[in-house]
Amino acid sequence: MRRPSRRFAALPALALFAVLAGCGGGKKEAPPDNAASVPDVPAYGDMIVEGSIGDISGFLSAVTSDSASHAAAGYVFNGLVRYDKDLKLEGALAESWTISPDGKKITFHLRRNVKWQDGAPFTSSDVMFTYRRMIDPNTPTAYGDAFKQVKRASAPDPFTFVAEYARPFAPALESWGMDILPKHLLEKYPDISKSPLNKKPVGTGPYRFVEWRAGEKVVFDANPDYFEGKPYIARVITRIIPDQATMFLELKSGGVDTMDLTPPQYARQTETAEFKKSFNRYKYTASAFTYLGFRLSHPFFRDKRVRQAIAYASDKKALIDGVLLGLGQEATGPYKPGTWAYNPNVRKYPHDPARAKALLAEAGWKEKDKDGVLRKDGRTFEFTVLTNAGNEARAKTAAILQQNLAEVGIRMRIRTVEWAAFINQFIDKRDFDAVILGWSISPDPDQYVIWHSSMTGPKELNFVGFANPEVDKLLEEGRSTFDTEKRKKAYFRIQEILAEEQPYVFLFVPDALPVVQSRFHGIRPALAGISYNFNKWYVPKALQKHRIEP
Amino acid sequence: MSGSRDIGRDFARRLLRNRLAAAGGLVVVFFFLVAAFPALFTSQNPDRIDVANILRPPSAAHPLGTDDLGRDVLARVVYGARVSMKVGFVAVGIATAIGLVLGLLAGFHGGRVDAVLMRFVDIMLCFPTFFLILAAIAFLSPSIVIIMAVIGLTGWMGVARLVRAETLSLKERDFVAAARAQGAGDARIIFRHILPNALAPILVAATLGVAGAILTESALSFLGIGVQPPTPSWGNILTVGKNYIEFAWWLSLFPGLAILFTVLGYNLLGEGIRDAVDPRLKGR
Repeated sequence: MRRPSRRFAALPALALFAVLAGCGGGKKEAPPDNAASVPDVPAYGDMIVEGSIGDISGFLSAVTSDSASHAAAGYVFNGLVRYDKDLKLEGALAESWTISPDGKKITFHLRRNVKWQDGAPFTSSDVMFTYRRMIDPNTPTAYGDAFKQVKRASAPDPFTFVAEYARPFAPALESWGMDILPKHLLEKYPDISKSPLNKKPVGTGPYRFVEWRAGEKVVFDANPDYFEGKPYIARVITRIIPDQATMFLELKSGGVDTMDLTPPQYARQTETAEFKKSFNRYKYTASAFTYLGFRLSHPFFRDKRVRQAIAYASDKKALIDGVLLGLGQEATGPYKPGTWAYNPNVRKYPHDPARAKALLAEAGWKEKDKDGVLRKDGRTFEFTVLTNAGNEARAKTAAILQQNLAEVGIRMRIRTVEWAAFINQFIDKRDFDAVILGWSISPDPDQYVIWHSSMTGPKELNFVGFANPEVDKLLEEGRSTFDTEKRKKAYFRIQEILAEEQPYVFLFVPDALPVVQSRFHGIRPALAGISYNFNKWYVPKALQKHRIEP
Repeated sequence: MSGSRDIGRDFARRLLRNRLAAAGGLVVVFFFLVAAFPALFTSQNPDRIDVANILRPPSAAHPLGTDDLGRDVLARVVYGARVSMKVGFVAVGIATAIGLVLGLLAGFHGGRVDAVLMRFVDIMLCFPTFFLILAAIAFLSPSIVIIMAVIGLTGWMGVARLVRAETLSLKERDFVAAARAQGAGDARIIFRHILPNALAPILVAATLGVAGAILTESALSFLGIGVQPPTPSWGNILTVGKNYIEFAWWLSLFPGLAILFTVLGYNLLGEGIRDAVDPRLKGR
């Protein structure tokens, strides 16, 4: 659910809605038309209204797991590190860091003169407090794994923090992108998710919290004391509009300044000259993929040939055309095409129903009943695929796959379930045949929690039950070295095995399609998308629409 | 026996003379035929996805256009009629059966049975029906069977009251007293003497009920908790249409018209039947 959001990306997580603003090789469509007519100099003021499909659940990102909450937290909090425009880690609250030659010890040198928004100074004791809470069993967090790898943490002085690991741990640095929490405000709450700060946050970030009206909007004002300087845009309002079509109407009528377009909106509804004059559209590969995942202990799907047959039966081209209107590409594994860990040379599964049928026959599915559905040992090949309600793209994916599978004699029923029930009753209880879901892809390729055979317990993320000794070994290798070449080798091999085994049928990687009202300048699309430099976006004085009283 | 046939002929004549009712009846018959013989109205498969023809406006190949997966809208509306009719009839069947039994029991026995049953009806009427349905479906998984059952189980109170009132008045009539004097038992009196005389208002209520049930099903499907895609239903075609209403008007217009005409048809027919069985009620 976590997506690489406004400011940094952390652990992989279930994506509720595939793809919204994310990372990728950015490409803007056209230069702003009105850039020439007004003096284009950065100015303070105005406000931006962003549309969000889902409401937030809290501001402490350690204990929330949905993308809307993480985006909101990104305005108020900072981590020690963050991803820059090229998806390289750079310092945030840490000015710099050093890694010991054996790779086991990271020393962070913190920024001085950083203040919490209530005026208290930020020091290494806050980092220590955050670390302790991340490993505390009272903290209901999904992101504790990386912090549990720390063998010893220490804060030798107020502006130094040291984390030591038992062995080199590659995702360590990324994990310190976790929002740092104010010790002086949270100390007395054993469970931070129940603290008032989860509703009224106080952070070190570029914006301070003003107001949250549940189901309606969240308001932030620029933090004049932000350590990198006050952001240009004076106010940010996140409006919660749970319907894409309504949000789009709001966009056109000026009620929303920025949102993520759906493929039909991008391809069919925003091609007019009038729209392009008022809005800038962006398009880049999202850091997410959609897949069909099998419960591997299911009697049908235990057989690799059956999974491969389903991969051959799935018409990915039709999915990309039908669901994404061509705005995306085929997924071949769990990494984003074009990134260093992505292996383009793995086994591919072009649409080939004949081959699918042959593989199914080989696996013993030979007879057919009167409806043309395959049978074996008295059982017909029918199963139910689950997906979350309200996600139009996944519903369409399911409908197309249903037709694809019917062609080879497999009857797939579709059931959509509301998100919370989907996770609690079906995913966590392993009560499903197959699912259509998505993962957001974090820049670090460590996917230990998704594929390692030790991560199949309740609430853990290897819910398909994938277990492969070689992959286990490679995952351990990949996370225990900082040597990119060695890591690359491990992850390339993992992708080969996953492509061969097809625990998921990897379907597609969609494009992110954000749109921003054209009065906002300073947007520089890059590998990381567009929002990495949000604090530097501005509206030239002459174009400012709202006056915000300080 | 010949007397009852005369009454029937009389009824049919009165019904047909009412132009609106006849038109309503015609619409009902038309959609009934559509639901029963969809292949006569379209040669397309409503589930056939064609990604090369997504959201195309009406044309010779697709008289009502295509939807967001390139499926033929005409075929989907035609097969959607099946869902609507099925839900309408089964739900009303359930509601009528329950209402009939409870209404007869309450009206015929009176006293404590009546008090208990009618208080139960009052309690059921306290719930806003639509929200009761929403809540029930949240617990169960949405499927056409559940939808029919839930609409039926929450829609019988009106019928129960109607039947009770009829029974109360009928059981005091002379022919019931005569039957009883001849030694007829309760069952015989209820089924041979009271029920046949109460049928007309039940028929009216049921006809109007079908319209209500079709609307409820459409509303539920529109909200995404009714008939689940890819099975077409008018409501869920509209849900998809809503997303593209600015440029793909055909996706909202045609299922909308289908709902409009069907519901109108049943309402006109229902009112026509009411007027025909009891001319005194005309204009009320």
